[in-house]
Amino acid sequence: MNRIVDFPVKPEARPYLDAFEGGVAHDAQIEPGSIARHRRRGLARFAETGFPSRKSESWRYLDLQPLARDPLLPAQAPSARVLRAMGEHLTGLLLPGKGPRLVIVDGYFAAEFSSLEMPAGIWFGTISAALAERPELIDALAAEIPGDGEHPFAALNAAFFAGGYFLGIAPGVALDDPIEIIHLGSGAAAGSFHTRSLIASGAGSRASVLEVYAGEGRYWRNDVVAVRLADGAELARTAIVEESNEAVHLGQIDATLGRDARFAGFALVLGGRTVRHEASVAMVGENARCRLDGAFVVSGQDEANILTTVDHRAPGGQTRELIKGVAVGRGHGAFQGRLIVREDAQKTDAHQLSRNLLIGARAAIDAKPQLEIYADDVKCSHGATIGDLDEAALFYLRARGIPAGEARHMLIDGFLREVVETVDDFATRVHLLRRLAGRLGSLEE
Amino acid sequence: MMLEIHNLHARLADGREILKGIDLKVAEGEVHAIMGPNGSGKSTLAAVLAGREGYEVTEGGVRYQGHDLLSMPADERAREGVFLAFQYPVEIPGVNNTYFLRAAVNAQRRHRGEAELDAGQFLRIVRAKLKLLDIGDDLLQRAVNVGFSGGEKKRNEIFQMAMLEPKLAILDETDSGLDIDALRTVARGVNGLRAPDRAIVIITHYQRLLDHVEPDQVHVLQDGRIVQSGDKGLALELEERGYGTFDEAAGDAA
Repeated sequence: MNRIVDFPVKPEARPYLDAFEGGVAHDAQIEPGSIARHRRRGLARFAETGFPSRKSESWRYLDLQPLARDPLLPAQAPSARVLRAMGEHLTGLLLPGKGPRLVIVDGYFAAEFSSLEMPAGIWFGTISAALAERPELIDALAAEIPGDGEHPFAALNAAFFAGGYFLGIAPGVALDDPIEIIHLGSGAAAGSFHTRSLIASGAGSRASVLEVYAGEGRYWRNDVVAVRLADGAELARTAIVEESNEAVHLGQIDATLGRDARFAGFALVLGGRTVRHEASVAMVGENARCRLDGAFVVSGQDEANILTTVDHRAPGGQTRELIKGVAVGRGHGAFQGRLIVREDAQKTDAHQLSRNLLIGARAAIDAKPQLEIYADDVKCSHGATIGDLDEAALFYLRARGIPAGEARHMLIDGFLREVVETVDDFATRVHLLRRLAGRLGSLEE
Repeated sequence: MMLEIHNLHARLADGREILKGIDLKVAEGEVHAIMGPNGSGKSTLAAVLAGREGYEVTEGGVRYQGHDLLSMPADERAREGVFLAFQYPVEIPGVNNTYFLRAAVNAQRRHRGEAELDAGQFLRIVRAKLKLLDIGDDLLQRAVNVGFSGGEKKRNEIFQMAMLEPKLAILDETDSGLDIDALRTVARGVNGLRAPDRAIVIITHYQRLLDHVEPDQVHVLQDGRIVQSGDKGLALELEERGYGTFDEAAGDAA
């Protein structure tokens, strides 16, 4: 009999309950009681819902069967030897310079690679340090993340989170250089990494964040980020997902925008066996602005899903979305984009576009835009295109002597460049283009 | 011989025969003009020589510097020194013009076993060529042909030709729809390329480019065949009398 829940437990959840009992990933002795309660709530929720079935609309394009069959239990903190070996993996993943940087290895904070000095008005550090210093954040974290049937892994994350960061920006503070968070998988042992982070931007503040997800070997990353933007706050958050070809990556970011707040979310998915990136934005204050852009490149037998939800709850909000997909080989990509405009959200101006390149007979892409509009004075649109490489352009490049393979990569790069160039920060943009070029250079069609 | 076309027959995928037995020899150092009305097969000839897909050669052949041209893929032909200036240059969003051209130049250099040019070396050559052709550098930082005017697209073709220094340049109606300034740029590009070890084939509907570039030979293409060849005087004659007079000759040959 399980001590935590008194209802039937989904069989695929059982190993995680047992691991929780074993005390993996957290130390109940030193954590405040409120965190422990939060963890148990998450675990109970996960035990009840289990893995989502493919009948669930937002999970239908992802195959989680291998993970359900072969559990990846929360990883132990990496040894000193493993950490030493990670140094070289970091090169290439980092922005030039020594900006503020937090490195997480196998889901745990790695102090030796991190530099957390920040100017006045900015709190940046691990989530556990933040929770110890500011216990009120626990409730914020718990309230921020949906733990419903569509988000069972956010509930599992609540139970097991060990690493993660807190970024708190005081009102009116502006930071020009991007803050880097690097998530690495060491490949030392197969396991799952549950990281939970919170960004709280004060009124009128401005900052940008770059998160990189990379690793070696087989692992499951289950990452949850909550973003709260006060009135007039501005935040750009860019994610590069370049996980190992055996990795499962489930990433979720939930943002809440106050009046006149601006959020620019960007995701570039370049690698991982099974990747799901979900961004949900609640436009709570009037005249909030949101940009959600991104791209995925899938090859081999990779699967990548990008899901977005923008919920306009107040008048005058503006949303722009451009998501591009490239699938080659037997890769399978999907985009699901929901735009909700509530009754009160008059004068909403929201446009969503999904453009896709499908290369080869065995690749697949699903694009599913979804508009739910309950207000009558709005400007909303969505569109989706799927096509192959432009044969005329391909011939033009070849007629100048460029070999066919290189010409194809140039066209794919050109196709994706348009969306990468929406990223405002110059250093981040250059970094994204470099990682993209590297990925396309080794693309197997 | 730079280019030898022998009894070339080609048809479209739908079976329509466009080239019906072309014979043409172009020697090193020569400039040839191929003239003809719309639909005579001029652009098909250019496309078949450059290796565009969608055409089937049913008879005859093409030798380029003694090698079988038609057995080479399009990109290899280009690296071997064949250049086609497109009638309708293709817009390629997201691909920077300079980046594209450096990739092309370096593909050719690799093919010849030469070291690739780095960004600095490449840019020095670009500057020199632009100056020679009297072209501004505003085209360099834009995406390939995207948003270019008709004249800019043709200038860009000539600029690429100057950068790649082909052995055999084929200009497919490069002069059509150009103002006099752009026409002069094209002429400068072609005349600048003239050399004893190169050959140029100018495909055109009109005679006016030939006021600036003097051809060694002029051929009239009609209904998929060359119906008459002559010196530059033939171009002037065509300008005066039109293509109508050759219809008879083509009819007789059929």
